[in-house]
Amino acid sequence: MLRTDEILSTIEMLHAEHLDVRAVTLALNVEDCAAPSVELLCRKLRNKILSRASRLVEVCDRVGAKYGIPVINKRLAISPIATVLAGHGQTAALQVAKTLDSVAKEIGVDFVGGFTALVHKGITPADAVVIRSLPEVLSQTERVCASVNVASRHAGINMDAVHEMGHVILEIAEATADRHGFGCAKLVVFANIPEDNPFMAGAYMGPGEPEAAVNIGVSGPGVVCSALKRRLAIDNTLTLGDLAEEIKITSFRVTRVGELIGREVAAELGVAFGIVDLSLAPTPTVGDSVGEILRTLGIAKIGAPGSTAAIAMLTDAVKKGGLFASSSVGGLSGAFIPVCEDAALADAAGAGHLVIEKLEAMTAVCSVGLDMILLPGDTPPETIAALIADEMAIGVINDKTTAARLIPVPGAKAGDWVHFGGLFGSAPVMEIRNAGASAQFVHFGGRIPAPLQSLKN
Amino acid sequence: MLCRFPNSYVVNVVADDRPGIVAAVSKAIEQLGGNIDACSQTVLGGYFTLIMIVSFPEQLDPEAIAESIKKADTSGRGYDVVVRPTISPDEFVDRPESDRFVITAFGKDQPGIVRRFSEYLAGKDINIVDLYGDHSGDEFVLIGQLEIPKSWDIRMLQADLEQIGQELGFTVKLQHENIFVATNQLRLYATPPGQTSHAAHRRDSVHH
Repeated sequence: MLRTDEILSTIEMLHAEHLDVRAVTLALNVEDCAAPSVELLCRKLRNKILSRASRLVEVCDRVGAKYGIPVINKRLAISPIATVLAGHGQTAALQVAKTLDSVAKEIGVDFVGGFTALVHKGITPADAVVIRSLPEVLSQTERVCASVNVASRHAGINMDAVHEMGHVILEIAEATADRHGFGCAKLVVFANIPEDNPFMAGAYMGPGEPEAAVNIGVSGPGVVCSALKRRLAIDNTLTLGDLAEEIKITSFRVTRVGELIGREVAAELGVAFGIVDLSLAPTPTVGDSVGEILRTLGIAKIGAPGSTAAIAMLTDAVKKGGLFASSSVGGLSGAFIPVCEDAALADAAGAGHLVIEKLEAMTAVCSVGLDMILLPGDTPPETIAALIADEMAIGVINDKTTAARLIPVPGAKAGDWVHFGGLFGSAPVMEIRNAGASAQFVHFGGRIPAPLQSLKN
Repeated sequence: MLCRFPNSYVVNVVADDRPGIVAAVSKAIEQLGGNIDACSQTVLGGYFTLIMIVSFPEQLDPEAIAESIKKADTSGRGYDVVVRPTISPDEFVDRPESDRFVITAFGKDQPGIVRRFSEYLAGKDINIVDLYGDHSGDEFVLIGQLEIPKSWDIRMLQADLEQIGQELGFTVKLQHENIFVATNQLRLYATPPGQTSHAAHRRDSVHH
């Protein structure tokens, strides 16, 4: 029999602190959809997605209701699209993207990830088609998300791909200039891309995964923040160790919610249960913010010295709690610091407390990278590439996933505020110091060799 | 639950709470040659209540057992005792296959709260297996652990209960018990998927 205090503490977490499941992502292998004609390819893609995923939204809603926990986003992730586009050209790529967009809408999922190319060591013709089609794809579709892996611990950093992405990102921004370059919010450039990430825009189904799997992204930072505030309100003798313990316990409980719902959704859909991603994913809603946690941990101005240590402690405690709660942890599993999607971070950037260099330092100890960063519209492509290269280096050297989701805003300069609305929030354009000063480095091209796996100091 | 001896009885004791009640009752059972096979006790608002399943090698008169328990009281303040022979498993009302859910309701106290919710549940053949209600600050908190027949659509029950809650000014939630198990205990499920339901388990649990 359950104890009353157990029931009450869960009720508080669920309802007063708005715990939810952030994302249920059905990952689906579509490699068998490859076909010599693009019409057949699109038809096979559509039929496979409809037959495997059409019940996803209904099942998530039913299971969510049973446990009294809303599943906020239902999503789809597919095999890297380059694998089924081999032999086709850019026109076919756009047609495939439009098919994915319409079938996603039909089954009610908000995003479909996997418009992906894995180019960390080299670029195949199919990868080149995918990358070159991104400006059209991301401007002419609504729900398709793209990712490009340009670096890995074993291959190093493909600087040719990084350079190319600098140009492509600017082209996407221009193609979506009427939406402040929003197309770039649907593209993530990765080092060490995880095969089982449930979060957009970087979700895709990687090699070594089963035919289909359900991957779960658990609740946001609001629950952790409330738990910390509640402890601090009743005890003024707490140390950072005590606060880390509180984060760990909360993370355990939150992860359990994800595991419970994920397993049941997977069982109902008749597919494998994949992983729970422990990441704290903020939304622009006030209170649902990683920045707010940093403030609660005593960093009065986010970006001040101590911010890196605080987010390192937060990320580590989240992982420790989550790993004990579930034997199927994967994905990105860290703390996201997407400036646009986190009201407290956006405010700190607006007030000049948080600069891009500090954000970069913070990404060395938390997942996942320079995320939803707005850049001046006139940032040179080489500088965008160099920003990506820096972030990739952090991932490759530290043997972790890092990513860059950079949005040059056409016509905007540092300090201008841009509003995307909804989950994507709003933020100021960041100042990029020394723009243009990395051109020669980027132009060298080639590959930065894979790093040492020993002598790690 | 297996009983030690073939003749089993259910014993219920109510008293104003004080130390020594369980000691007195258990001593009486022992002196009668019996065994305590299961027990549960709680204190609410200063009042003590105890329910026990006890068993004896010989058949005894329930009244006589009750008298012995009463006489065992040494405080002089007494307590009420009810003793009944347990019924055989096939005499239990046959419950449909069910799932365990938890209802929680919070709101401003007023007469009729427990009645409204329990009447609704009874009308749906939903069994309450544990009930807790108390004041918490300005609010009354009601928590019921329920056996809900699998045939019901939970979202329909939730909609009904939320409507009743709205009429009473109460926030009402109905959630599967596993969410409370998963977030508080080391295991993920109360009953691993595929095992027998609670109702079936309980029917098997008392036998002679």
